[in-house]
Order: sequence, then C-alpha cells, then structure tokens
Amino acid sequence: MLSVLVWLPIIGAVIIGLRPQKNQARSIALSVSFGLVVWSFWLLFQFSSSLSTMQFIEALQWVPQLGLNYRLGIDGLSLPLVVLSSVLTWVAIYSSKREIERPRLYYALILLVNAGLAGGFLVQNLLLFALFYELELVPIYLLIAIWGGTERRGYAAIKFLTYTAVSGFLILSAFLGIGFLAGSEAFSYNPQLIAALPIATQVVLLSLILFGFGIKIPLFPLHTWLPDAYAEASPPVAILLGGVLAKLGTYGLVRFGLNLFPEAWHLLAPGLAVLGAVSAIYGSLVALAQKDIKLMVAYSSIGHMGYILLAIAAATPLSLLGAVLQMVSHGLILAMLFYLVGLIEAKVGTRDLDGLNGLMNPVRGLPLISALLILAGMASAGIPGLVGFIAEFLVLQGSFVPYPIPTLLCVVCSGLTAVYFVILISRTCFGKLDNATAYYPSVLWSERIPALLLAGLILLFGLQPSWLTHWSETTTTALASQIKIAAAANFPGDLP
Amino acid sequence: MAETFIHSVWLIPCYGIVGMLFALPWFPGVIRRTGPRPSGYVNLLMTLFGFLHSLFTFVLVWGKPAQTESFTWLEAANLKLSFGFEISSLSVGALVLITGLNFLSQIFAIGYLEMDWGWARLFALLGLFEAGMAALVLCDNLFFSYCILEILTLGTYLLVGFWFNQSLVVSGARDAFLTKRIGDLLLLMGVIALLPLAGSWNYQDLARWAARTTIDPTLATLLGLALISGPIGKCAQFPLHLWLDEAMEGPLPATILRNSLVVTTGAWVLVKIAPILALSPVVLGTLIVIGSISAVGGSLIAIAQIDIKRALSFLVSAYLGLVFIAVGIGQTQEALLLILTFSLSMALLVMSVGGIIWNCMTQDLTQFGGLWSRRPISAIAFLVGAAGLVAFPPLGSFWAFLQLAEQVSPWLVGLLLLVNTLTAFGLGRVFGLVFAGATHPMTERAPEVHWPMMVPTTLLAGFVLHLPIVLWQVQLIPAQWIDTTLLFAIALSTSSIFGGIAGFRLRLAQLPWPRVQEMLARDFYTGDIYRLSVVFAVAQISQIVSIVDRYFVDGLVNLVGYFSLLGGESLKYSTSGRTQFYALTILLGIVAMGCAVAVHF
Repeated sequence: MLSVLVWLPIIGAVIIGLRPQKNQARSIALSVSFGLVVWSFWLLFQFSSSLSTMQFIEALQWVPQLGLNYRLGIDGLSLPLVVLSSVLTWVAIYSSKREIERPRLYYALILLVNAGLAGGFLVQNLLLFALFYELELVPIYLLIAIWGGTERRGYAAIKFLTYTAVSGFLILSAFLGIGFLAGSEAFSYNPQLIAALPIATQVVLLSLILFGFGIKIPLFPLHTWLPDAYAEASPPVAILLGGVLAKLGTYGLVRFGLNLFPEAWHLLAPGLAVLGAVSAIYGSLVALAQKDIKLMVAYSSIGHMGYILLAIAAATPLSLLGAVLQMVSHGLILAMLFYLVGLIEAKVGTRDLDGLNGLMNPVRGLPLISALLILAGMASAGIPGLVGFIAEFLVLQGSFVPYPIPTLLCVVCSGLTAVYFVILISRTCFGKLDNATAYYPSVLWSERIPALLLAGLILLFGLQPSWLTHWSETTTTALASQIKIAAAANFPGDLP
Repeated sequence: MAETFIHSVWLIPCYGIVGMLFALPWFPGVIRRTGPRPSGYVNLLMTLFGFLHSLFTFVLVWGKPAQTESFTWLEAANLKLSFGFEISSLSVGALVLITGLNFLSQIFAIGYLEMDWGWARLFALLGLFEAGMAALVLCDNLFFSYCILEILTLGTYLLVGFWFNQSLVVSGARDAFLTKRIGDLLLLMGVIALLPLAGSWNYQDLARWAARTTIDPTLATLLGLALISGPIGKCAQFPLHLWLDEAMEGPLPATILRNSLVVTTGAWVLVKIAPILALSPVVLGTLIVIGSISAVGGSLIAIAQIDIKRALSFLVSAYLGLVFIAVGIGQTQEALLLILTFSLSMALLVMSVGGIIWNCMTQDLTQFGGLWSRRPISAIAFLVGAAGLVAFPPLGSFWAFLQLAEQVSPWLVGLLLLVNTLTAFGLGRVFGLVFAGATHPMTERAPEVHWPMMVPTTLLAGFVLHLPIVLWQVQLIPAQWIDTTLLFAIALSTSSIFGGIAGFRLRLAQLPWPRVQEMLARDFYTGDIYRLSVVFAVAQISQIVSIVDRYFVDGLVNLVGYFSLLGGESLKYSTSGRTQFYALTILLGIVAMGCAVAVHF
C-alpha cells in the first residue's frame, strides 16, 4: 500500500517522459498527483491512531550483506507529513503556469521530487533514507536552475545543491558510522544497538546528523542557501521547497536524532533549545528588514523552524505533538503565502514593497487575493482560530517547563512575526492604488482555487485542531516517554 | 421552553458569526448585482435575534445561581481544553448590553455609511466583534479569553483600516494592531506560565488555586504583570494607550462599539483574574499607578484636543483608568458598575457627535459653533451622555463614583474629584464649542440628520436616562446614606457642575499656554518617544542583523566558495606532466603524514 506512494509518481514521471505529446504532460501529472492525494487520504482513514508502532509495513530483502533492505512503514509522525506532501504537490502542479517551457521535463521532475519525499518519510532503513534524501537534490536543482526567476537562479541553484549535498554527505557519513560501529543490523532502524555505543560516540554521530538536517531545515547559521533558493524558485517549486522539503529535515531530526540517540539528545537539548530561539528571533529580525515580499516570507520560514527545534529539544508529549502540528501548519501557511506572493507578482509585475500598494481596492485591485493574504499572514503570526496559533501554542506550552527562557523568546518572535506581516499587509493590501499603473489582469477562479483550498484547511484545523492531533498523539506520546525513560536511566540526577 | 432558552445561550455568539459569514460574499465583489446593502441587513437581523435571545434569557436567569456548561475542544497529551460557558445574571446581562448596543450602532451605520461601498466589511466585522465579546463574557476560561482578545485585536486592525487608502488610517490600524499585540503576547506568556503552576485555566479553579497557593512572591509579581499587560493594551492604558487615539481614523459607527465596549473587554478579563493579581501587592500597586496616570493624563489630554472624536477617545482611557484603580483596590463589583454606566454614556456621546460630523463634514472643533438652534435633539443627546458620564445625580456614573469611594481614602477621593472635574470641563468645552456661539460656514446649513442615525441616538439617550431606575431595580444603588457618602456626593455633584460650566463658559479651542497645549495635544509626546526609542531600535537592529546576514554569514559562505574556485584555478597549473614534480608532492605528503603520526598531542 505504501509503495504506491513512492512508485506511482515515478511511473508517472516515466510515462510523461516517454510520451511525445507535450500538452498532455500537465494533465497526466495532475491526475497522478490527485491519485496520490486520494490514496494518502485513504491511508489516513485506514490508519489506526491508537497504535504507536509502524503500520502497513512492507519489507523486502535487497542487499542483505550491506544491511540494505526495502522496508516501508508509517506512524503518527510520518502520516501527516505524507498527506501534506501529497496535497502540496498537487497544489504545486496545479499552480504551475499552463504555458510553461519544456513541460515534460518540468512535470516529470516535480513527480520525482514527490516520490523522493514520500520515500524519505516512509522508509525504515537508514541507507535507503539517505538514498531518497539525495534523490531530492537533482530535480530541485534543475527546477530552480531552469525555471527559476531572474539571472541569479544559477547561483541560487548551485548554492542549494552544494549546501544540500554537504547535508546529505554528513547524514550518510553518520549513518555509515552507525553501521560500522553498531553493525549493519543497525541500518534497519534499531535504536537498541545504538544505545549500546559509548555516549561520546553517540554525541559525535548525533552532531553529524544535527548539522546535516540543520542545513536542510535550515537553522541559523546554516541557512544562507534559503533566501536565494526560495526567492529564485518559481512559486510552485518554492511551495515544495518550503512547504515539504524543509519538513524532511525536521522529520529527520525527530526520527534519526531524537529517536535513535535519546541519551545524547538529552545532553545536547539545552543548547538546541537556545539555538531554536536564536533561529526564531534571527529569522524574524532579518525578515523585518526585507523589501521583497518573497524574501520576507522566506525568512519567516527560518523563524518558524526555530519553534520546531525548540519543541523537539524539549521532547515533552505536548511539545512533540506541537512540533508535528507546526510542521503541518507551517507547510500549509507557507505554501499559501508563496502561492499568493507568486500570484501578485504575476498580476502586478513586482514584489517590491515600495512598488506595491492598495491591492484591496475592490474595483481595480485584487480584493480576494488581498483578503487571503491577510488571512495567511495572520495565520503565520499566530492569531487564534487559525492553524498556526494552535501549533505554536502547543509548542510553547509544551516547552515552557523544561526551557522557560527560550520559550518566552519564541513568544517575542511571534510578536516580531506580527510586525513584519503587518508591514507587508499595510504596504501591499492597504494604501492607495496607483491609478496610472493599475491595469492588472483579472484573477481567474481557477487561479483562486489553490489559495481557497489552503485557506479552508488553515481555518478548519485552526477551529478543530483535534482532527490534526488525533493522528499523531499516540506516536508522539510514546516517543516522549521513551526519551524520558532513556534520560532517567542515564542521567538520574537531571530529572525532577 | 425556559430551559431551552438558557441552554442554547451558546447560540448568541453564533448569531454574530453567522451574520459575518453571510456578509462575506459581498466583500470581494463575488455578488455584485445587489450592491453591498443586503450584507448589512442580514447582520442587523442576526444581531436582533441575538438581542432578543439574550433579553429572554436574562429574564429567565435573573436572580438564579450561575450555571456552567462546557464542551471539550481539544484533548491532547494530558492537556484538556474545554470551552466553558458561565450562564449567570451578570454574563447574560452583559450579553444584552453587547447585542443591544451593537444593534443600535448597526442601525446607525446604515445611516452613516449610506454612500459607502464597504458595507460588507464593516458589518462582517461588527458581527465578529459582537460574537467575540459575547463569547468573552460567557467564557469561563482564561485561555479562551486570551484567544478571543487576540481575535478582536485582528478585528480592530481590519476595522480601523476600513478606509484603507488613506495613509493616516493605515498607520493607525498598524499601531492599533501592534500595540495591542504587545499586550496580548505578554498576556500569552502569563497564560503559558500559569498552567504548570495552577493546573487549570478555569476562572473558578484559578481563584481556588490563588486562595491556597504559596508561590514565590517574585514569581507571583512577574506572573501578575504579564497577565495585566493584555488588559493594559486592550483598555488603552498608559503606556499602551496611543492606539485608541489613532484608531479614531476609523469609521464612526465602529467607534461607537469600540469606545464603549471593545475597550472594556480587557477590564472584564482583569476582573476575572483579580484573585491571581491579589497574590502580589506590587501588581495591585501597578494597577493603581497605571490607572491613576491614565485617568488624570487622559482627562487632561482630552481638554487640549482639536479633533472632536479624539476629545472623546482620551476620556475612554481616563474612565478605564478608574476601572483599573477599582480592580487595584479590590472593588471588582464597583469596577463592573462603572463599566456599565460608562459604556452606555460613551456610546451616546459618540453617536451624538457622529451625526454632527456626518453633515458638517468636519471633525475640527474650531470649525463648529451655533448648532443649538439647528440641532436641539443632538444637543440634548450630548448633554444626556455627558451627564451620564460624569457624576451628575441621579444618572449612572454618579452612583458608580459614589460606591467607588465607599472605603474613603483621601487620595482616592481627591483623584475621583479631579478626574470628574476635568472630564466635566472637557465635555463642557466640546459642548460649548459645538452648540453655543455663532455659526461657522461649516455649521450654517446643518439640520438634524436622517432617522437611521437619530432613532438609535434618541433611544440610547432614553436608556441612559432610565439607567438609574434599572440600577435601583437590581439594588445597585445604596438604600441608606451615611454622612461621609453624603458629603462626597455633594462634592462630586458640585465638581461636575463647576467643571461643566467652566468648560462651557471658557469654550477654549486651545489652552492659553502654548507649551502646555502642545504637550497635551500631542499626548505628552508618547508617539514621538516610541518612534525614537522602540520603533527606531527594532528597525535599526533588524537592519544590522540583515546586513550581517547578507555580508557576514553569507559572505563567509561565498568566501569559502571563492577560495575553492581559486584553489582549483591555481592548482590546475600544477598539472604540468613533469614526473619530478609529482614525485616531490608525494614525498612531501609522506613526510607530512609521518610527522602527524610521530607527534602525539
């Protein structure tokens, strides 16, 4: 069942590549990704949320000598992310320009990205994860380099490639280290074998993993590929990059950091909590100084990723649940923001704060798009009733007891987020429309659909968060209790 | 039947929400054929339902003990969030006030915004405010109260930004949102910190916890200070008061609701969390200090305002300052009474002034004059509102002031008399400038406005006049006089009359001392101070961090890249094909490795 999620997009990509008709590429890609959405929702309802273990396991021996086997499974941590990735891939494909150049390559690459993402979230083998993780790189590199925005796209793409390749290399070396030190059995996701390693070795291996995923998420100071890549990527690619690909990093932190190295994690957690808060404040401050609304949104992402790091560092049942929620909510909100920013750029022709004004104007502006932009910005700023708030709130409440000061700093960051989104809204949506230049093409209903869909989800989960927490709660609670047991066994003095 | 009404009280906030949802299709022009008016009528109807529902419920629950109902919203990882309703005479009474005032201000809006195209947005937001406030008074949980306050902050932003193409409106909306958000986030810090300590956010549980807890005084102080920050922002108290002044750029019908009720939401939460605040004397002291500064400062600043709406808006800060003082000295019942009398009178004042602004086309007090003969009904409404606001027997605020001073402490009596005199002076001044004297070009042709604005104004004037009877009925007016109270009552009445007449007779458009006038007119330079301190600091820090990010953090990365390229470029010349050179390189490498192995660190 899970293999469908990995192989269907690959088959789709091959079909698109083999068929000579260019104009069918889009419809094939759309139907494949719609099929994936349906399939992942079907999984959602087959999933038993009361179990904390892996479900729907599929296992095949591949190269047993290396410890490489094909093993897929899903639990409450990966399930929401898999669904998110299917939905956002559909949004990305739907929102791609109809008359895009070289459509067959484009859509095939997007489907490959989706296959890599699904594989990354599903595989239960360290080597295979590293494989899928690297598999992302090339399609995204090409998507930025070929269909990117300005002449800086080459620079942005190569920067992204270099950074992420280093990240993949660090993770692969950590995994190989695990394999050499704990035996190739450890490749098939075996925390007990790793727990037998000396704590200093564990810290070294965990640090490699932290750096690797820290680049992917990204965290301060490993983030500088992000503004270039996000700003240069076309909106659909930015949606994939920020909405789902970054989640592969945070997912990896939980799955391969926290879960594999509970003791070492316990040692490093205070530093990580501080780093999370610093990342959050740093990202927000830089976002505040931006003049380009896409860069503003890009930097806001660094801020929000800081919350997730704080939550994973705290590792309480509530904070881990909050982390999963924040991954989903950030994916939805960021995708909506990138979509709207892209739409505004396409219609108005600029994304410069000084060039935009008065888009709320009901006659010649983009009133509905402005309203949705306000909604998305406010969701990002954590206004209650929208999904961003409940995710942030669970993170903050869950992390407060172990790390009060970083948590309060994150509340401050939430305030800064409000500041730059108010600046963004006041400058783009409010104000006076320039009569001389305001001849914008009208927004079609088909262009509004993705934004309306995302807005609906943001509102729905904001008002009814239990529909989101329901899937992950058992898994995250079990995870938190494992950490607590491991920490209590090794550092009895640390716990109250 | 009766039970059904009581148990369906949760519907009352829903009416507002339903109204809002119905108005949405008209906002971005999805429905164009009908024009935007139907959105207003739908909202009006919904508010009427809400009003009738709460009125019937009020009759049913009057005098009965409070009931609570709750439903679970989210239960996850040992955290249970239940939205609880408290159905008591007090909360349902507040519902009547909210829905009633919103009904009147919506009728007023139909008249005031006759020619406007933004009906759907305005009415949707009024519906949101009604729903938010109704949910807030029913809510028995600090967490959800916080959520509602935060949503209302967003509502204020959108409502103040109603005429968004004017630059003052944009900055006013921005400041309103950010100032209130600062307060809200400090409140959020308090809310988060409270749960591990108290184990619940339910107000009754919190009161029980506060009664028996023995937490560290410093912690209690920090907690209390965080918790009062939200109300400080909401109630436009010093130092977070400047947003209310700027919010006067918004449309007037929204101002009716904002100046009378929305600002008091903070005070409502303050009253609810009073037991926790009482844990720390520092917090109570802070409340009293902030309240006193806002009360005296607000009533002073009001005197120097040229803008007629601003002359009223600073009185809002002043009166809520008195509410803060009341909570600070532990008199929460008196605080609620003052909120009631204040909100009705303030709404009436804003309505009366609104009609005048509407067809005189100006808000500048120096442009008015001589309207008494042309607009007697508005003038009488203004007088009634003013008399209801200051301590003028037998109208509402008189009794609130009287009860506030029951525990006679000299400074409080002095403060009340001072604020009352200044308020009366300010209102007398506005009345004199608008209605007395000779006419101006702007007031030459100014008949009474049309019925959608006059009917709510006169209705509300009637309510304000009848408020003492209501208070008498619900036994909020003391039956017995004691000597000191009588003395104070006489002093209060004298101060109101003296202040009012002095203000009216002097009719100062500007104070005779230019420096004082300038200082008061500019709100003690608060806006400038913020611009030069906090705003400047945040802007500079963000610029610096951004530059560091671009040139240092990213610069380092580019430097590494550059050196790799440079290394490759220069090393390519070493590939010369000469065997000796390769042999030398290998030799050097072996020597280096040998050294590395030989030397132990």
